[in-house]
Amino acid sequence: MRRIDFWAGLVGAIALAFYVAVGLSGDTHTKITTAVEYMGLIVLFLFGFLVLIAIATGRIDISGLLEEKGDGAVGKASMSRFQLLVFTFVIAICLFLIVVNSEEHFPDIPVNVLLLLGISATTYGVSKGIQASAKSDSITQSTTSSTTTESTTSLPKEP
Amino acid sequence: MPSPAILAYWEGVLLLAGMVGVVAWKLAGGDYALDELFEGPVREADGTYTTQTSAGRVQIFWVTIIVAGSYLLRVINDSHQFPDVSDGMLALLAGSHALYLGGKAQGMLLGRFRDILGRTS
Repeated sequence: MRRIDFWAGLVGAIALAFYVAVGLSGDTHTKITTAVEYMGLIVLFLFGFLVLIAIATGRIDISGLLEEKGDGAVGKASMSRFQLLVFTFVIAICLFLIVVNSEEHFPDIPVNVLLLLGISATTYGVSKGIQASAKSDSITQSTTSSTTTESTTSLPKEP
Repeated sequence: MPSPAILAYWEGVLLLAGMVGVVAWKLAGGDYALDELFEGPVREADGTYTTQTSAGRVQIFWVTIIVAGSYLLRVINDSHQFPDVSDGMLALLAGSHALYLGGKAQGMLLGRFRDILGRTS
C-alpha cells in the first residue's frame, strides 16, 4: 500500500512540474508563484482528506465528541458541546459562503458574530468547570465520610 | 487544469461538506450519543447523582437552533458580507446560556430546591 502511495505521489509531482514548466504561460516568477499555489492547495487538501477519511472509517475516534466526561450517573450527551458544534459549523459554512462570494478582500467579521461564538465557547468552558467542581466536591465528601466512619469505628468503647 | 481559485473553491466545498456530512452521518447512525441530551444531572441529598429532564437544556436547544438557523438563512439569502447579529438576539442567547449554566450549577452543586430548603431550615 505504501508503495502505491509513493508512486502515485511521485507521478503526480512529476506531472505537476511538467505542467508548470510547459503548460503555463508567463515568466519564471509567475510560473513559480502558480506552482506554489497549486502545491499549497494540494497539500492542504490531502491533509484534510486524510483526516476526513480517518474519521469516517473510525481510525480517528471522535465518538465521544458530544459526550460529557464523568461518572456514569452524569448525563451522556452534553448540551454545551452540542451547541458549540452547531455554532462552529454554522459560522464555518457562513464564512466559506461569504469568502467565495466576496471578490475583493477577506470579509470583515462583525464584533457581534465574534461575541456569539465567544458566548458559545464560554458556556462550554464554564460547563466543564461546574462538572469538575461537582466531581471534586463529591470526592471530598466521600473521603470525609469514609474518614469519619473509620474514626467512629476506631473509637474506644466506653466501659 | 483548473485555476487555483476554482481548485480552492472545490477543495473548500469537498472538505467542509465532507466534515458536516461525516458528523451528520455518525449522528444519524447513533455513533455519537445524543440520548439523554435533555436530561441534566441532579445531586441528591446523599451526595449521589441522578438525572432528570432539564428545562434549561430544552430552552438552550431551541434557542441555539433558532439563532443558528436564522443566521444561516440570512447568509444564504445575501452572502456578500457577514450580517450583523442584533443586540436583542445576542441578549437572548446570553440569557439562555446563563439560564442553562445556572440550572446546571444548581443541579450539580446544590441539588434539588427541596434539599436546599431542607438544609437551610
